[in-house]
Amino acid sequence: MKTGNIIKYIAIGSVITVVGLFAYMVYASNMISYLSEDPKVCINCHVMTSHYATWQHSAHRESATCVECHLPQESLVDKMIYKSMDGAKDFAAMTFRTFGKHIKVSDSATKRIQANCIFCHRETVSQMTVNSKLYQENGESTQIDRNCWDCHRKTPHGSTRSLTATPDNIGVKEEP
Amino acid sequence: MKKPIVLIVVSAIAIVALILLVVSINKEKVERKAMSSVAINPEAEIKKFESKSSEWGKYYPRQYDSYMQTKDSDKIDDVLKKDPGLVILWAGYGFAKDYNAPRGHHYILEDNINTLRTGGPTDDKTGPMPTACWTCKSPDVPRYMHENSELDYFTGKWARLGTEISNPVGCADCHDNKTMKLTPARPFLARAMDKEGSLPYADATHQDKRSLVCAQCHSEYYFKKTEWTDPSGSKKTAKVVTFPWDNGFTVEDMEKYYDDINFKDWTHKISKAPMLKAQHPGYEIFITGAHGLNNVACADCHMPYVREGGVKYSSHKVGSPLDNLGNVCMTCHRGTEQELRDTVARKLERKAELHKTAINVIGKAHLEAGKAWELGATKEEMQDILQDIRHAQWRWDYSIASHGSFFHAPEETLRILGTAINKGQEARLKLRTVLAKYNAVDYVAPDFSTKEKAQEIIGLPYQKLVDEKVGFQNNLRKEWIEKQKQKGLYDPKAWEGIELKTSYN
Repeated sequence: MKTGNIIKYIAIGSVITVVGLFAYMVYASNMISYLSEDPKVCINCHVMTSHYATWQHSAHRESATCVECHLPQESLVDKMIYKSMDGAKDFAAMTFRTFGKHIKVSDSATKRIQANCIFCHRETVSQMTVNSKLYQENGESTQIDRNCWDCHRKTPHGSTRSLTATPDNIGVKEEP
Repeated sequence: MKKPIVLIVVSAIAIVALILLVVSINKEKVERKAMSSVAINPEAEIKKFESKSSEWGKYYPRQYDSYMQTKDSDKIDDVLKKDPGLVILWAGYGFAKDYNAPRGHHYILEDNINTLRTGGPTDDKTGPMPTACWTCKSPDVPRYMHENSELDYFTGKWARLGTEISNPVGCADCHDNKTMKLTPARPFLARAMDKEGSLPYADATHQDKRSLVCAQCHSEYYFKKTEWTDPSGSKKTAKVVTFPWDNGFTVEDMEKYYDDINFKDWTHKISKAPMLKAQHPGYEIFITGAHGLNNVACADCHMPYVREGGVKYSSHKVGSPLDNLGNVCMTCHRGTEQELRDTVARKLERKAELHKTAINVIGKAHLEAGKAWELGATKEEMQDILQDIRHAQWRWDYSIASHGSFFHAPEETLRILGTAINKGQEARLKLRTVLAKYNAVDYVAPDFSTKEKAQEIIGLPYQKLVDEKVGFQNNLRKEWIEKQKQKGLYDPKAWEGIELKTSYN
């Protein structure tokens, strides 16, 4: 009985420790902030500061936040699925340090972003998308399967966006 | 028995995993802090309100180098020569003596010291202007306020602080010395914003501050007389720079503010009208325009993000965006550079047209009022007319004094100019009746088409002013520089290569 009691207490103690550690992890990682769509959440990870800074100095600053381009806009369910998937991927990449020096969007995100370009700029590009369908059977986007930013290369992050490219951005330093 | 053991094993695994995760998260956080401190340079030992910009430049070389390039804008452009009517409009006031278009920030202090408006003091108690005239010229101003007090700073003649004000507008005017956060160094901006109420200072975001650091100086202001007692117990009067924003940001709001407190900057020498000098309401007009309404900040166009090799930073070469159109306008606008240039030029032409008309109308109103006085017009006859002239000139001045208004908010600028011309013509209509009464219905105001003619009409002793100034430059100013060197305030880099350039030499 006595050993049983001790084991019971150890069990309770360890569960409390887990709960406590988990609570601390929630606090330390700013976990709650990820529920928001504020672009500052994306600079919880410092590897995004250059992307944030370049966006902050672009025309898109006034009309599109990070998630408005990088996550699907037409369905809330899709948005949540991709947010969770990207989140899990970023979590793994940060924890196991598997991201390289040059961070590029995934193929999946490429499609989403292209769809969002068209979603917002549909008035301008409607005829282009119609035309491309006539000439291009396999491509999902515009002619010869190009993305908008294959030509508009600096939109919106500019051509210089490596980790060390924007060293003195005081606006980025604000805590989210 | 089994359940607790399973629980312990699962918990132990979770604990190990969580500890590893927390360690990893905290490591990232340390790294993030280290990365952020690239801006907040850990080695940077910059004093609070360090007024020598070269001290900041040691740690922020790109920003400093670009700031130093404001040197390139060095042309003296005598506005009184271009628009001699201004001499009539400002008769009895400093601006009739000398008024040049602004040069780069690098010359801000040099030009303040050399303009005939600040006179030729011979010691710290002489000269026409108060200390307030230094206010926006130097980071030594917030430094002095910090070391002494704001009211102490705003007391006495301009020349009293000649040995203290040594560096042109620079880093300390806009940045916190430790965090580099945008921090307008002058206390009166926050006071005025809180009183106006639409954006209390505490609510201002980083994007707002990218305009507000400019607004601390590029705004309309007046010198508010404030009584105070210094530490030794003697009563003094300070002339405190104050923004007239209590009623709001429009020209009418501020006109009402000044009328309600019966404020005047000076009495016009010819018309005797109680005049207002609009300073440079750049911020107030900007926020009514298309760019301001779309949350574009001053810094977005005047300090664009530029690329240098693999690094991007905000250019501190503050100046006309037209010099850097590709980096500025093309961030948002499509079309060719030439199209945009033509659009801006057309806006300027439109303003210039109404601007010239307004100067002509108001100038003639002053001279006709002068004639009416000469012929014996009474105070009662003139009162309404003088009020019209006051309002006409205030509005004209308000609309153009910030230089960029024609672009920042063309509609508002042209609207204000329209009301100014109307008020001026109303005054002239009433004046014709008065002149007719005194048998001078045909009176034609004298020609003021050159700076010399205009200065002669208002009886300005131009040569005397120049002589006094040259005397000051050769004596007191040299003493100031010696004393600044002794106090350790003088920064040779801030004065390197500056030649004496004025409208009178």
